[in-house]
Amino acid sequence: MRHLLLMAVFAAIVSVVFGIMTRDTQRTRVLYGLKVFAEFMGIGLVLGLLLYFVPGT
Amino acid sequence: MPQKGTTTKHIEHEVAPASAWLMGLAAWFVPGAGHLLQGKWLRGLLLGGAVFAMFIGGLLLGGHLFPLLGPYDEGVSKLLQVPPTIANVGTGALYLFCLVTNSGFADHANLPTYEYGNTFLLVAGLLNYLVMLDAFDIGAGRKS
Repeated sequence: MRHLLLMAVFAAIVSVVFGIMTRDTQRTRVLYGLKVFAEFMGIGLVLGLLLYFVPGT
Repeated sequence: MPQKGTTTKHIEHEVAPASAWLMGLAAWFVPGAGHLLQGKWLRGLLLGGAVFAMFIGGLLLGGHLFPLLGPYDEGVSKLLQVPPTIANVGTGALYLFCLVTNSGFADHANLPTYEYGNTFLLVAGLLNYLVMLDAFDIGAGRKS
């Protein structure tokens, strides 16, 4: 649970920076930040699930 | 002198003003300061706050900073420590404060969050390099 929480904190902080820096309007910043956050979490969970089936990990 | 039928291209190099470089330097030294000095309060607080949070979080999780000078390993290990050191130096005054007070450089590999801490510290520096470039671009008039 702690690992998931830390991953979420990491994703949230990076998403804020990416959202603010790469978009121009308030709306697009929020949307892009949410998109990056969802991508971080989604890819992290999928990779975690795949590693679960790798022997020796 | 251009010959008949040929065209010449004039490439103009845009020179950034000195203030833009200063803003970039300020942003490196204190995360968010480059934006705050240019009146971008909310942006500066959010970006600076993100870097501060990442850095302090990394230390609290047991991560360690890489030293500028020794005690390095020998050989290839020495070279492998250069990139993370560059990433750590990106946090500017935060890194320098830790360097002067000799804090944050000790290994806490026994902690389960040790690797998270290292990642947080590295990414804090890398994010601040991005924040620095953003402050520079605003100072140079390339971004609003």
